[in-house]
Formats: sequence, C-alpha cells, structure tokens
Amino acid sequence: MGAGATEGSGQTGRARLGQRRLAQWVRDYSRLPGIPDEFLGPDGAPRAVWNRFFDAFGALAPDEIERRFAMADRHLREAGVTYRAPGDSADRPWSLSHLPLLIDEADWQQLSAGIKQRAELLELVLRDIYGEGRLVAEGALPAAAIAGSPEYLRPVCGVPPPGGRYLSIYAADVGRGPDGRWWVLGDRTQAPSGAGYALENRLVLSRAFSDLYKSMNVPRVAPFFEAFRDSLRGSADRDEPRIGVLTPGTFSETYFEHATLARYLGFLLVEGDDLAVSDNRIHIRTVAGLKRLDVLLRRVDSNFLDPLELDASSRLGVPGLIDVLRKDGVVVANMPGSGVLEARALLGFLPALSRRLLGEDLKMPHIATWWCGQKSARDEVLSRLDEVAIEGAYDRFVPGFPSNGPVLASELDASQRQRLIDAIGDRGLDYVGQEVVRLSTMPVWERGQLTPRPFVLRVFAAATPDGWAIMPGGFCRIAEQPDARAVSMGDGARAADVWVVSNKQVSTATLLPATDKVRIRRVAGVLPSRAADNLFWLGRYLERAEATLRLVRALGSPSGPNKGTSATVQSSERIQRLLVAWGAISQASRATPARITAEALQSAERFGSALSLVRAAQRTATSLRERLSPDAWQVITEMAERLAYEVEDDDSILSAAELTLQELASFAGLAQENMNRAAGWRFLDIGRRVERAINTTRFARQFAYDEAGDEDLDILLTLVDCQITYRSRYLLAPVLAPVRDLAVLDTYNPRSVAFQVATLNEHIAALPSLKEYGLIERPERLAVAVQAMLATAEAEKLEVKSLFALEQDLLSLADAIGSHYFPHGPNASRPEKLTGLA
Amino acid sequence: MIYDIRHVTTYSYESPVSFARCTLRLEPKSGDGQELISHSVEIRPRPSDRTARRDFFGILTESVVIEVAHRNLRIDSKSRVSVSRKPPARDASSPPWESIRDIALEATSLGPASPVGYVFASPLVPVLRPVTAYAAASFAPGGGILAAAVDLMHRIRTEFRYDAKATVISTPLKEVFDNRHGVCQDFAHVMIAGLRGLGLPAAYVSGYLRTIPPAGQPRLQGADATHAWVSLWCGADLGWIGFDPTNDLLIANDHIELAIGRDFSDVSPVDGIIVGSPKQKLGVAVDVVLVE
Repeated sequence: MGAGATEGSGQTGRARLGQRRLAQWVRDYSRLPGIPDEFLGPDGAPRAVWNRFFDAFGALAPDEIERRFAMADRHLREAGVTYRAPGDSADRPWSLSHLPLLIDEADWQQLSAGIKQRAELLELVLRDIYGEGRLVAEGALPAAAIAGSPEYLRPVCGVPPPGGRYLSIYAADVGRGPDGRWWVLGDRTQAPSGAGYALENRLVLSRAFSDLYKSMNVPRVAPFFEAFRDSLRGSADRDEPRIGVLTPGTFSETYFEHATLARYLGFLLVEGDDLAVSDNRIHIRTVAGLKRLDVLLRRVDSNFLDPLELDASSRLGVPGLIDVLRKDGVVVANMPGSGVLEARALLGFLPALSRRLLGEDLKMPHIATWWCGQKSARDEVLSRLDEVAIEGAYDRFVPGFPSNGPVLASELDASQRQRLIDAIGDRGLDYVGQEVVRLSTMPVWERGQLTPRPFVLRVFAAATPDGWAIMPGGFCRIAEQPDARAVSMGDGARAADVWVVSNKQVSTATLLPATDKVRIRRVAGVLPSRAADNLFWLGRYLERAEATLRLVRALGSPSGPNKGTSATVQSSERIQRLLVAWGAISQASRATPARITAEALQSAERFGSALSLVRAAQRTATSLRERLSPDAWQVITEMAERLAYEVEDDDSILSAAELTLQELASFAGLAQENMNRAAGWRFLDIGRRVERAINTTRFARQFAYDEAGDEDLDILLTLVDCQITYRSRYLLAPVLAPVRDLAVLDTYNPRSVAFQVATLNEHIAALPSLKEYGLIERPERLAVAVQAMLATAEAEKLEVKSLFALEQDLLSLADAIGSHYFPHGPNASRPEKLTGLA
Repeated sequence: MIYDIRHVTTYSYESPVSFARCTLRLEPKSGDGQELISHSVEIRPRPSDRTARRDFFGILTESVVIEVAHRNLRIDSKSRVSVSRKPPARDASSPPWESIRDIALEATSLGPASPVGYVFASPLVPVLRPVTAYAAASFAPGGGILAAAVDLMHRIRTEFRYDAKATVISTPLKEVFDNRHGVCQDFAHVMIAGLRGLGLPAAYVSGYLRTIPPAGQPRLQGADATHAWVSLWCGADLGWIGFDPTNDLLIANDHIELAIGRDFSDVSPVDGIIVGSPKQKLGVAVDVVLVE
C-alpha cells in the first residue's frame, strides 16, 4: 500500500479488504493459553511471513477462497491420494488442511542446520555400534540402550553397508517449544514415511493457490528428490542401475505413497515375492526372466526383510537378502538395522555423543528424556512422575500398557499407577520419561475462521555426495487433540503443506531447473511379472464387465427381446443363461425377471455382476498405481461409484449401463492413446483381447447356433457391436453364415474373434522370449494354431461344435499366457518354510 | 568324557522340491567345559553352493543351496566332543539376585557373551506379567541367585507336564504357560521369560543328552532328540550356569552344548525355505554314545 496509491483503485481496494479481514481473523483467533503460536507473536500481532500470506489470501473473495479449497480437494480425490489407518479394510481419502505451515527462511536455515548435524551424528553412531563398538566399550553409550531394541539386528553386525552408508534418508519429527526454538521429538531412521505425501500436498496446494505460491518465493521440493534419486543411483556399482521401492503391498498403510515415490523417482515398485536371490545378487522376476536389481529403497521394516535370518514368519521379504548384503551384492536404503536409533533410550546420550564424534554441541535440542535403565534417571522419573510422560524405551509401545502413545501417570487410577511404578522399578530399562513440552500451534481454516491447532512437522534429509540435502518444506500433521506428540495419520488427523518463505525471489534455477530430470516419467526398463499379471487381469476384468453390460443392455433395451413375442422370450432365456453361467445373476433370480438387469448390473453379492467386475478391476488397478495415469484411475473409480449407486427403474438401469460402457470405451482410449507401447501396455491389451475373443465366441455359440433365427442373430450383431457393419455390407435381415463370418472370422472387423487372435499373435511375437533352445513357446504355439484355424475356416461349416472347440482353445491360450509370463502368480511357486525342529 | 554324536535330519516331500536354501547350525561349540574334537556334515542331494561363517553368537552357520529336484533331503551331522564340567552344588552360596540385575547392565560390550543381550524380550520369548509373577515366587528379596533359579527350575519340572504332542515350534509362550505343558524347548522358554521379567540375563541353549544313562540312573527326558535348556548369568565369579528345567538338573557332563542364543530362533539347527512342496515330513534322529 504505497502512500501515493489512488483512492479506489482496484489493487488498493483489495489490499485494504485483505487487511480488514486479517484484522478480523486475528481478533477471532482464540489462542490456547500459555502455548506459543506460529501465526501470532507474543505481542498478539501476526508474524511477518503470515502477514504477507494473509494480505494476499484475505484479498480473495470469500467464495473464491471456498472455490480454491474445493479445487484442492477435488485434485486430491481425482489423484486418488489415500491413506489406510491400521485396521482399516479400505483406503481413506487424504485430508489436507488448506492453509500451509509457513516458516521464515532464516528460521528454516537454523532448523536445516540442526537436522543435517543430527543426520550426520546418527550415521556415525550406526557405524560404530554395528562396527567397532567403541562407544559402548568406552562407556559413552550403555550397551543395554542398544541391545534392548528389536531393531538392533545381530545378523548385520560387522557387515559394512553396501554403498557405503547406513542412512540414505533420515527424518526428524520436530515441534517448536515455548522458548521459540525447534525441538526434535523423535528420529526416523528406519524407513521414514511422509515424503511422498508431502510431494502430493505441495502439488495440490501450489495448484490451488498458484499466484499466492509464486508470490511467496517458496523453494520447490523437486530438486531434493532429484538429489536423493541421483545419490541412490550413485550408490550402485554400475552405470545404469535398476532401483526398486520395496513395499509390503497394497495392504500397507502408506501404499499410495510407495507408488507415488516409485512413479516420481522412476523406480520399480516391488514386493518381496517379486524378488529372488541368485548368484549372491538380488534379482527381480520379470516377463523377460530374472533381472538384476542394484538398489532397494525399502519401506518394509528390517525384521521382515529376510525370513531366513530375521523374523521367520515374514512373508514380506526375500529369503537370503541378508546374505546378499554380506556379500556386497545389493544396496539397501536404509541399511537394515538403522531403525535401532529410533529408540528413545538413546536420546539422553546424544548431546555427549555429538561432542565426542563431531566435536560440537548439538545445534538443536531434543525433548528432555530420561532412560530408566540408569538408576539416577529412574529416580528422577519416579520423583517427578506426574510431570513426565512415560514412553517405551525402544519402540512405540509402552510395555505392560495397552496405549499406543505416552502413558501419563496423572491420568491413571491408584492401582494402575502403582503398576507403572512397579514396572519401572522391575524393568526400568524398558521405559523412558519425557518432559511434557507445550508445542506451538498453527492456524487452520474452519468455517471461515482461523483456529489454532497443535502440529508436528517431519523434516526430511537425504544423503548426497555433497552432504545432507534437506527437503525445503516437509510433512506436517495437525492434531485434533491438545497433545501434538501423539499425532499419527489415524483418526481425523489432517496434513498440511509446508512453505519456506523467502524474502528474496527464489532463484530461477530452483524454480525452473534447467534439466528437471525428476519429472521425466519413463516406463522403467523391465516389467515385473506381478505387474504384468495385474495388467493382464485388469484388461480381462474390464472386458468382461463390458460384455456383461452389453448383455444387460440387450436384455433391457426397447428393441431387445423384452418385446414379449415367443421368439424373443427364447432369446431372453439365452441371455439369462449366459448371465447365470457368468455369475452375474443367480439361478433363483430368474423367477423375477424385473430384477434381473439390476442384479447383473450392481449386485455386490454376484461375483460376475458389472459392479463386482469393475471393483475387481479397481483392486487390480490399486496395485498398479505407479503405472496408471491419474485419468485412467479416475475413470475406474467413477465407474465403480456409478454402478454402486442403486437404481430402480429400467430407464436408469439402461442409462447406467450405457454411461459405464462409454467410460469403458474412454479407458480403452486412454490406454490406446496414452500408454507407452512397452510390455505393460501389451499385457493390458492381451488381457482385453483374450477375454473379448472368448466372450465373442461364446456369444456366437449362443446366438449363431446351427438353426438360429434372425432375432438371435440380430442380438449377436448388437452384442458384438456389428449392426452397422452388417447392414452396410448385406442390406438384408441377418443370415447365419454372413453373421458368423463377421463375428468370428472376419479379420477386418475389429470386434471379431479372428481380429483378437491376430492382435494376440502380434503381441506375443513382440514379447521377450525366455527359451534358450529355439523352440516355439506354448503361448505362441497355441495362438498361431488358433489363427491358422480361423484363417482357413469357412463360415458355412462353422458349427456350434467347432465354436465350442475354439472357445476351449482360447481358454487354454489364456492359461498358457498366465503360466508362461507370470510363473509366480496364480501358479505360485512361492517359497515354503522348512518345518522347524522341536 | 568323550562322546560321539550322530544327528540325522530328514525331510520327505509330497511333491518334488526344485530349490532349497538352508541354514545349518550343527557344530557343537567349544569352550565352557567342552571341546570339539571333530565334526562333519553330509548333505544329500549334494548342494550346489555351500558356505560357512560364524554368526553373531559365534555359531558356525552353513548356508546351503540345493538346485536339483528332490523328494528327500538328508542332513547327517557327526561330531566328537569331550566334556568336562564341574557345576556348583545346588545349594552353593551365590550373590543376591538383585545385584546381578544391576551388574548385568554395567556391561560395556554388545558381544555374544555380554549378559546385557539376554535381559530383553526376544522373538520367541516375550516378557509377560503372569510369567514374571510366577518366577518371582522363587526370588525372595536378597536371595542367592543360584538357589532361587534352582527353585524356579524345580517348580517348572514339577508343575509343568512334559507332552511331546501338546505344542509345536510356533505355539506361543503364553499358551504353554497357561496350559502348563510342552517340551524341553517350551520349558526353557518359560524359565527364560520368568528370569528376564525379573531383569536377569538368561540365554537359550540347544544341545544333546547322552542316550544311555550311567549305570543305575534313569534315562533322561529328551535323550533321543535335540535338547534345550537355560543358561543364566550368575555374576562375574560364577559366570554362565546351565539349568535344565525339563530334568531339574544343573548342567554337568551328560549335556553337550550345540549353540547358545536368545531363544530357539537364534540357534535352530536346521532352518530354510524350499520351493515346490507345501507338504513335508520331518524326521530327526539323535544318538549320543559315550566313547570313553
């Protein structure tokens, strides 16, 4: 607001409005007593960065603000950003607070310096405890503070980490204490989560408020990911390394994030079953056989990595992985065993370790912690029991107490309290006491007002050849309850984007990196068998859903068999029999014809209903998240939503079927137009073609039987979408031989069986061959044989018998493709544990 | 005394197994009153790869890969060991047990012999309040650790029922404790859980018993299979002392130690994964003959 601004000019008017509304928000902001706040300083005035933000934000019209919030929510929904809370059976949508956490650049520099120092210190501590062991031997670290952690992995003691370091990525949970400084609340050294969500949060918010985002000079997060990726690449011992993100699978709480990171960084998303040990290396099972994997970014906890040397019951790991590490055959980031430093028992010793190992004091304080394994600390905790929070010394559980978070003595009844005291007395080494710190709050937007909420900020550091790189920003979680330290992404917790705000313009190099390598999303070079398997089935499920929908349409359409004549009653019978055989309706339902179409369309109980098939496709697509475009994902989600929405009358059933068919066509279009012509696309198309060939043959057998009349032939033409083609060619009512020819043999008709088989042959010929002996492989043999049969068949002689044989051949071909390219899929040869000895 | 030990493990599979990766811990240890004189392991079918290393606990660990299709796997281990141990008397005086708890934590090593590695819960031995309370009945304030542990061992021997059919490897400790039955491995795990619950360092020992007892003595429980017992750290002077809760005995010259770890999962003699057959039958035969 320059002094010379003209009264009433638009710019100034809006700025004034902004100031007025900011003043109102400040007045309505009810700070929690005695707790520092990010937005308002101790004087009650907004801090400089927030002032700048709200100046611009407040100038937006109220409905414009709501519009942008809605836009952010829509982006999240459409991108399918989800999280699964422990115990949930389904993903829940990501909940993003619409206001970012703002951090002043100078403040951020200090925070970054503290995190870098801490990451370096922890790396050195790991090197010592898994190596020489001098810290323990010389009394700088009590042995029990290490030995008690389930993450202290004895099998990797003395094994130098391949790639040269224990920690490739490190995260710290921080909060601002009453003194205005940032405090470390906990260290994440195992497999820190949240970086991928932070990326999504940034994507969404910077789009919804793009002008504001630009004007605040917020450094981008992309260069951080680029540095991280390059560093992982550099840790491998060959030039073009293959890197995988190891995920526990779609049931993991943060599976979405694993897929996001894999796609963003250009890594393969792999599960333990995808990997095999051979020649002292880790290999990935692909459609082209075993391929060497150089680096694993793991999101599986150490103890589950190798059932041979660690948790024997684990199904998430790779038998023999630890032995490969011993032989320097794979880089695992972070090195298994790194999680030992997450133990709270260690916190109290870090200041001294920093002086000893780095020769400097810790730049950032952490929350005061007393490990009750030492008598003096134990006495201290017991004497101040009501002022401290009791936590587990080694993991998030407090032994003997069911709570998943701190135990507060002040909240226990007399007998529980005595039990806590006894437990600390008996096995103090399992417990720590932590100071209860009042952490600062930040503003969230609620019903047009700003409300303070506690939060925890997770800051990420990646090891690079030039030292630790810090992600500018981070993963911020906002608590609904007053104690921020218990925040997980569980019940009702929201996330927020984090903006580091600079006074200077962010350098263009940062804004627009000359070569923004991270954003190149190229299909990774190899296709894991599991992904191929899933693509194949995605294609089949969608195609089968299409066939079901076509049957529903034929049954219910005004021009269809429901006209009531005797011949069409017969046709209707045929369609119903197909739907029963397909599992789309039950035999019993045939008694109530009115319900048949609704059941085939949207019964959740029938595995063959259109809804069930689309849901099966959706489940399959979930494990392909890193390979599907957001558009493709969105189409599938919309179909599932539409089909689940109950409809009653015939018209709405038909229109639901019609709209879903259109969406299936648009999915096919997206796949055709947007997917790379790599093996992945081929398997999706193979699934679709095989299923269509089978279904079309089945339709032909049902409706173009040897004595078929023109009603039935007419239905067949509708089912295989060839009405127009037929009429343009023959100008007469359907006749058996030409209809059969068009539906089955005509290679110019893209819906005929012959066309599908020809396409299948092209795909199979283009796929990698596994055999070394020059022999023709089984899928190819079957496909070529079927193609030859179709090429030489004559429509006049194509009887039901031969159609039935054709259908059987096609089913064998589908099976042959499965067992040839996905040997670990349905035909599992997954390892079994040897029975132990009693 | 010198023993010849034959330990034969056989697996038969319902369908052919195309691949096996096994971990073997079959070499008897040397030290603590016994010396290994000779040891060999023969594996059929012949492995395509076989490498040996010492693991964290000092156990010779062989990694074996078999890549030929087979329906039977036979692992034949032969050892000769000399044993000469002098256990303390059951009622010998020993330091108060609480002092052991504190001294154990002063250890300045994370190594396998450091008591500090054995005071915490481990994969198969959780620390459970009822088990700790059960053990506490033997540990009066100020009581000597040896006598207290002997009492606990005696109570397990008399209050638990030996039943080879009642449990399998995966039976949780809590179930064994609640039902008061199991085999040597279960008894060892229960005793360890009770001792650790009190903050005491207790290890798991796998090993063998002589098959034919000395003249006039009864044949011991577990003599025809691998056996398991408990080793308790009783302070710097007494060191690690072996307690066999299955037979209510302090370890002397009838026990041969195979390996020591935190629980069975650290010392399992034969472990591994196979590809091909979910159905398998395991046979173990152990023969321990006194040579001289």
